[in-house]
Amino acid sequence: MSNTKSLLTIEDLYASVEEKQILKGLSLDIKPGEVHAIMGPNGAGKSTLGYVLSGRDGYAVDDGSVTLNGEDLFEMETEERARAGLFLAFQYPVEIPGVSNLEFLKASVDAQREARGEDAITSADFLKEAKAACKQVNLPISFLKRGVNEGFSGGEKKRNELMQMLLLKPQLCILDETDSGLDIDALQVVAEGVNSQRSADRSFIVVTHYQRLLDYIKPDFVHVLSDGKIVKSGDASLAHELEAQGYAWLQKEPAEDELEG
Amino acid sequence: MSEWLESAITRAQDVNDWLAPKRANAVELLSNTNWPTRKTEAWRYTPLRSVERSNAKVITDVIGLSPVEVTGLSAIELVFVNGKYDASQLSKILPEGLSISLGQDLEGVQKAEALDVFSTIKPERHLFGLVNDALAQDVIVISVTEGVEITQPIRISSLLSQGAESHTRVQVSLAEGSRLTVIEDVQASGDTLNTAFVEYDIAKKAHLEHYRFALQTGSNVAIGGSHFNLRDHASMHSTIVAFGSDLSRLDTDIIHAGEFADAKLNAMYLLDGKELFDLHATVEHAMPNGTTEENVRCIVADHARAVFNGRIHIHRDAQKTLAELNNRNLLMSNTAEINTKPELEIYADDVRCAHGATVAQIDKQALYYLQTRGVSRSKAQVMLNFGFINELIDLMPNAALAEWIRPVIRERFAQMEVN
Amino acid sequence: MCLFLAKVGFYMTEQIDKALAREYEAGFVSDVESETFEPGLDESVIQRISEMKGEPEWMLEWRLSAFREWLKMEEPDWALVDYPKIDFQAISYYSAPKSMKDKPKSLDEVDPELLRTYEKLGIPLIEQQMLAGIAVDAVFDSVSVVTTFRDKLEEAGVIFCPISEAIKKHPELVKKYIGSVVPKKDNYYAALNCAVFTDGSFVYIPKGTRCPMELSTYFRINEQNTGQFERTLIIADEGSHVSYLEGCTAPQRDENQLHAAVVELVAMDNAEIKYSTVQNWYPGDENGKGGIYNFVTKRGICHTSAKISWTQVETGSAVTWKYPSCILKGDNSVGEFYSVALTRGRQQADTGTKMIHIGKNTKSTIIAKGISAGKSNGSYRGLVRMNPGADGARNFTQCDSLLIGDQCGAHTFPYVESRNPSAIIEHEATTSKVSDEQMFLCRQRGLDPEKAVSMIVNGFCKEVFKELPMEFAVEAGKLLEISLEGSVG
Repeated sequence: MSNTKSLLTIEDLYASVEEKQILKGLSLDIKPGEVHAIMGPNGAGKSTLGYVLSGRDGYAVDDGSVTLNGEDLFEMETEERARAGLFLAFQYPVEIPGVSNLEFLKASVDAQREARGEDAITSADFLKEAKAACKQVNLPISFLKRGVNEGFSGGEKKRNELMQMLLLKPQLCILDETDSGLDIDALQVVAEGVNSQRSADRSFIVVTHYQRLLDYIKPDFVHVLSDGKIVKSGDASLAHELEAQGYAWLQKEPAEDELEG
Repeated sequence: MSEWLESAITRAQDVNDWLAPKRANAVELLSNTNWPTRKTEAWRYTPLRSVERSNAKVITDVIGLSPVEVTGLSAIELVFVNGKYDASQLSKILPEGLSISLGQDLEGVQKAEALDVFSTIKPERHLFGLVNDALAQDVIVISVTEGVEITQPIRISSLLSQGAESHTRVQVSLAEGSRLTVIEDVQASGDTLNTAFVEYDIAKKAHLEHYRFALQTGSNVAIGGSHFNLRDHASMHSTIVAFGSDLSRLDTDIIHAGEFADAKLNAMYLLDGKELFDLHATVEHAMPNGTTEENVRCIVADHARAVFNGRIHIHRDAQKTLAELNNRNLLMSNTAEINTKPELEIYADDVRCAHGATVAQIDKQALYYLQTRGVSRSKAQVMLNFGFINELIDLMPNAALAEWIRPVIRERFAQMEVN
Repeated sequence: MCLFLAKVGFYMTEQIDKALAREYEAGFVSDVESETFEPGLDESVIQRISEMKGEPEWMLEWRLSAFREWLKMEEPDWALVDYPKIDFQAISYYSAPKSMKDKPKSLDEVDPELLRTYEKLGIPLIEQQMLAGIAVDAVFDSVSVVTTFRDKLEEAGVIFCPISEAIKKHPELVKKYIGSVVPKKDNYYAALNCAVFTDGSFVYIPKGTRCPMELSTYFRINEQNTGQFERTLIIADEGSHVSYLEGCTAPQRDENQLHAAVVELVAMDNAEIKYSTVQNWYPGDENGKGGIYNFVTKRGICHTSAKISWTQVETGSAVTWKYPSCILKGDNSVGEFYSVALTRGRQQADTGTKMIHIGKNTKSTIIAKGISAGKSNGSYRGLVRMNPGADGARNFTQCDSLLIGDQCGAHTFPYVESRNPSAIIEHEATTSKVSDEQMFLCRQRGLDPEKAVSMIVNGFCKEVFKELPMEFAVEAGKLLEISLEGSVG
């Protein structure tokens, strides 16, 4: 393990939704360039982690701390976290009727560049980049003109999330069950997209229920999340172990809740 | 003010019974009411000429009339003949937990309670509701005790003989967790005038299954209302089937006075000749988390006129309401008329509300398809019309009633075709 | 048309918001010496208006007969708006800059203060500075200050001038068509307008002519306690085509001011009129003090195969009462209504359309988007009527409301009347809010909440904006963005 500075440090995080405790003392340290897979049974709190980190309303932090590049994440608004390089690929991307993908992406990129003190990108350059990103995720160019996720199929929505990631070039990508509902071809497209973005200064948290995705995106670390905390960590082989054993061994202690998917 | 209303007020002043304070209040309100004209929004499409010209009179002679038989329906029969309650037609033994009484026969606390509740669910804005307050001949009070399910439906029939005027009134209360089925029906023949209002108070977790049939045709004036007050987790399922007459008007009010209440209303009307039917359906969502689903379908032929006003009002506090209204109309003739007005009035932001209204002809492609299979055009029309209505009949929870009404409707279509 | 809107700002919705700082930028008062009638209304006032305008006798008679009808009428109360009773005797019915008394012959003779007013509003009237392709009639209180590009239009045979001038120069056209679409006694405010209207625009497009440029009128109320009663008449002769734009602003004052206009459109056989409005009258302050009462009657008649398309973006006025309508008289004629109505603060808007199908195979489309924020109320009120002769007629209506915050209201009152079995009517209405999920997605991608709301709202209005002339649409979007600033906390 290198001695470089951490990108994300989660210490003893407790979080709740509607007064129900979901995360119960979760700790995790991610260094630049690392890919961490988080696996676990339904209700373990996998999606909650992504929402808490990105600052979704209704997700209350009860205790613990999280820093991104040494900055206190909880001092930042949702959009400030995004501008600081945190990206969440949603499990169920929402539709925004009438707002074109292109318009939405340009506004996002502009907001983030402005926050970083960079010059705005010209529309022509942006269009070029957006078209390339479309191609890379195997979406027709026409999707840029369509309303955000409006009428997209499940697979198209996931690829659209990936396209946004390509354009926003975040430092930390959280993929929330990006593999759910994808057939094997779509899964490969998504994995290739992610792999193409792996670099020494970009890290990933890949949240998944199944090992399947990890055949394509090779994680550096695999963590098992159960009942709100990480109960086991290891390298990629842990995922195979889980695949073989399932999560039943975790159920020795009865799970308190089934709230989270 | 019209002569008719003036005479109604005069007649009401002669009544002196247990409802006196309520009647006086209604008379006072009526005295300050303008007789509706075309500019009165609630009566915009429904002229009251036939009320003004009605020769119907209150008949005091005892006349023996009994409601139509519905095969397979074993109902508790509650019969008004020309507005007077005919106790002889009520079963001698009622199920445990159900009480049915004439308001005036109640005693002590019960009477006081009945008086208290009278006309509190029915909104004051209904002109003929006030007329009914003032002139109701007999008032029946029905109640179901807590947690009791009455499996046998109650059928309230208002029967009118030639030339009769009647004003019937029923109030129904379902205590917490109870269940009840009520069928309201009016049967009249020739030159009658009838107002029939029923108020329902549906307590916590109680369920009402409701039917209202307005199948009288011809020169009758039939005006009425069914008004429902839903408390926490209460629910109701209502089905209205109507043909028109000289003037048929029904006002329904569904009031979500508690949280998590659920209301379903399916109404269908089939009008022919010079009939008019006017349904004003109002839903008041006063509390959060309520759901309402309304389906209103209408077929109008010949010179008939259909009026529908479907108002959904979401109050400031009624967050998380889901309310939907679907209104579909088929216009069969160049001289028939459809006037429909679905309204939304919304003061809460976190709600999902929608309404849709369509007016069209029978699907020409479907008609053609049936014809290519050898069905005559007229037969095909009947089939398609029937299908349009039958979708709602299929949703009636009471199988016996559905089986009874289907052929009635089929016959109606066949007649409409002849015209 | 970006000029109309570039400088226009607003008060913002006050609800969850802390920073209510933005001013209504068009709210300034021009220092122009005016000749203004004493408040009050009787036949002598109407005679004086007619005299000031140098009108022929028939026009005065027409006005007086409308006035006599008006006296017998009652103010309508069916709209879902609430405002104190208007004292019609407290209003001044005529006000004009003194400098306009001796009709300036050219721009050089126009009072520079007036020109400055329009420049400040983003509408330079000096042709060299103007956007080519848009001719402007600038109406200031009760008079038209200037109409640009007239020569160029005359070459094409197009008449575009103040209606006061048309009454004198083209009496045969005015006489024939004024009041032909909106009769004198049509409604209370229309009757009042007939009696006291002061100026407005007149347009005539000759047979087979495509108007070479966009025409527009910019209405400005400046004087205190005056009402503006403008009258617009557009006649598109057979096979002609015109696109007309209308904009309006007023100073910020504590008193309410009345604006009661009448617009009549006549589309002859195969003609097409596209009428776009951006209504930005002063809406009053966040407590509902001041603002314009905007009671407007707009109606067009379509002859055979003609088309009238109304597009409106309504963001101003304290109270709006407005139903741009189409009488589809000719067979195969087409009526369209595209509307965005945004209310905030204490604004109240009751707006919609009427589509009266008389001819065979007539078609109408209604797309109405209502956005309510703050403590405002917005209502769609519409009528679709299929007359017995409207064989094969079609209507499609879509009304969507968006609520921002829990102190506002959004309402839909559609009247659907059919008397023809072959006519098809489809009406749909929905209501929604900006969802938490949508907001979260936008913010997760780095957008601040205000940008997110305006983007989502713009998306909601897209179907209407795409009907506006190009630059206009962009500006309308910006206008919404400004209006929505601060409506999320």
